[in-house]
Amino acid sequence: MSRLYVARNPRVAARSLDGEMMIMSGRDSTLFTLNKTATILWQSADGTTPLDEIVEHRIVSEFQVEAAEALQDAETLARELASHEILQISEEPFPQRNNAAGESRSGESR
Amino acid sequence: MPQLATDVARLSLVIETGGMPVRVNTTDHAFLALLQDRYAGFLSPSGNEEQAEIEFDVDLGPSRFADPNAVVSVAQHQGRWKLERGDFRAEWEPASRRGWIRQTANPYSIDAVLRIVHTLVLARQGGFLAHSASAIRNGKAFLFAGVSEAGKTTISRLAPPDATLLTDEISYVRKDVGKHAGGYIAYGTPFTGELAKLGENVSAPIAALYLLAKGTENRIDPLPQAEAARSLLANLLFFAQDEELVQAMFHSAFEFVSRVPVARLTFVPDARVWELIR
Amino acid sequence: MSALMQEMSAKALKLNIPLSVQIDLTYRCNERCVHCYLDHHDHGEMTTAEITHLLDEMADAGVFILTLSGGEIFLRKDFFELLEHARRLMFCVKLKTNAVLIREREAARLRDLGVDSIQISIYSHRAEVHDAITLIPGSLKRSLDAIRFLKSQGLKVTIANVLMTQNAQDYPGVRALAAELGVECTLDPTVTPMMDGDRGVLNLGADQNMLRQVFRDTSLVGDVEEFCAIPAKPGEDDLDATPCSAGHTACYVSPYGEVFPCVQFPLPTGNVRQQRFVDIWRHSEQMNDVRSIRLKDLTTCPSCTHVSNCTRCPGLAYLEGNMRGPSSQDCGKSYARTGVPSANMLAKERAGINPLQGNSGSASLVQIRVLPVVTSATA
Repeated sequence: MSRLYVARNPRVAARSLDGEMMIMSGRDSTLFTLNKTATILWQSADGTTPLDEIVEHRIVSEFQVEAAEALQDAETLARELASHEILQISEEPFPQRNNAAGESRSGESR
Repeated sequence: MPQLATDVARLSLVIETGGMPVRVNTTDHAFLALLQDRYAGFLSPSGNEEQAEIEFDVDLGPSRFADPNAVVSVAQHQGRWKLERGDFRAEWEPASRRGWIRQTANPYSIDAVLRIVHTLVLARQGGFLAHSASAIRNGKAFLFAGVSEAGKTTISRLAPPDATLLTDEISYVRKDVGKHAGGYIAYGTPFTGELAKLGENVSAPIAALYLLAKGTENRIDPLPQAEAARSLLANLLFFAQDEELVQAMFHSAFEFVSRVPVARLTFVPDARVWELIR
Repeated sequence: MSALMQEMSAKALKLNIPLSVQIDLTYRCNERCVHCYLDHHDHGEMTTAEITHLLDEMADAGVFILTLSGGEIFLRKDFFELLEHARRLMFCVKLKTNAVLIREREAARLRDLGVDSIQISIYSHRAEVHDAITLIPGSLKRSLDAIRFLKSQGLKVTIANVLMTQNAQDYPGVRALAAELGVECTLDPTVTPMMDGDRGVLNLGADQNMLRQVFRDTSLVGDVEEFCAIPAKPGEDDLDATPCSAGHTACYVSPYGEVFPCVQFPLPTGNVRQQRFVDIWRHSEQMNDVRSIRLKDLTTCPSCTHVSNCTRCPGLAYLEGNMRGPSSQDCGKSYARTGVPSANMLAKERAGINPLQGNSGSASLVQIRVLPVVTSATA
């Protein structure tokens, strides 16, 4: 089974509000909010870390859920987010853009 | 070439308050319509020759007149009154009863001019305009005076169906020279405050003047004449910078309180207060 | 505003987060609109480094919607650099511009950078009227060309119009033009006084006659009867309401780093050249003063007929001299709508003053001070 890679779509607008991501789609400015799990997925979606690793290190440990089920759910979630052009999905790692600011400052409000 | 200035149509209406008709001439259809709307219920049919009319020509023009922040100036010079405020300029000659107003197309400027002219005429007759609501009940008029928020609009709103509202803001008072000579009559006016409902164009002899105060009970406390006169003076509408007329106003206020009962009306803002007014 | 956006705003309000901020990048402009409230000279605008640092601080503070305006933003040589930085920080970026400097290349770049929307001022469908307001011949044509370039790139564009004596009869033409171009159109019936308190520009604004006409135009206001209805008496809770989002979920930063509650509310609350943005937002004495005001705290308005639906702008009240006082321009609008005078108007009439005359509050306003650049502020 090929691994999936996920990356934040650079065309969106996004900011964390009270621990949850607000995301405005770049396509039609529709506003979405992500729950805690989806927010973790979003913040970890750097384009080079495979989805299964994200699930193993950030979701399974945090939420004490079954790894296989969690990965299944994460894939479904990722595809849904991709359908709204919030995430990008690929079977190859994404080429790195100059995204340094996006990683360290995805908008955690301190 | 068509003739110009002399052919401009003269549009006209007569606004009658307190039995005093004021004819307003304008060349602007839209402004005429605005006036018809604003003074509905107080318009006299044209061609009523019985009463000598006061007459004004209204000239709609640019928006800046006096210093915008200055208080209105009302002064007479060689038999002509000159009125000036940030939003209008007017002149009026009592002898011919004719005058002109220069203002922009709005209803509040002409309103102010009309009120001022009425106060100038009334001042010589012992009458006045006062910041008070008034209503007729049982054939008698009651005045309710006070500053803004004292309750003029509130008490007007609470009036029962058998009370006829004359105004919620500016009461019109004339001396009765008819069968109840010695008393005063209150007239309905189109001068409203926040009630947005025009007063009725009727009149009745004044039974009492109440000075409003909001409180936790409904009660009436008669006022001694000196205090009554002071309170009335504080509520009179008067801007003329004229020694003689100022003296006349003082005299009018004192004369009024010597003939009409004046009391403080403390009230709870609900309809029960009207049980005291009959 | 969508239901979700309202929900997010409510959350931001509760958490005291500045969800939406406008930065004016410069007060310099390539137009000289007759009604403009700005002093167009450069008194020492923030540098590229200062602005990018400010953007970082704002992202940390939770700002989501970033409006870039001025003056004319495209006059900044670093504009695209700033825009790129903003988009890297994932702000939802809205631009306000006269678009005179936008051609195909700029439009394409804006599209590539994922700008949310662009608002462009158009004062008339007729060049002779529009150009007489901007004082730049040919400006209407260039702005309209720019709208077409932006639309061809699939960008969202809104036309913003201001009602003035010069263009009062042209707003239907502007609406028709907007429809033809496929863009939204807004009409502002208020001219903003100069930031230093000078109210001379208000003479250019619509008078009662025009306002009454506009407020009875069903194509603008929808159901006229509903729009012009006298509001119901306020309930207990109504007077506990905040006047607007300024200081609550929104604020403004000038090209000189001054933080105000709003561009139309130029009360100095702090300067980002001297303090962190979030510290000003949270701890500024002046900002907290603004934040404390509820409708019931106002001097004149609580007893007014219009209190529950008046458009009262606290900034305009501030420019009249008292941010807890009335806004005469909004009294005028309520009066034009309903025919019922406001409590402020009645008080003025009683005092013998023109009821719609605003107070000239300039004596009590603090002039915009330009602070020297303090390099340690960015450390």
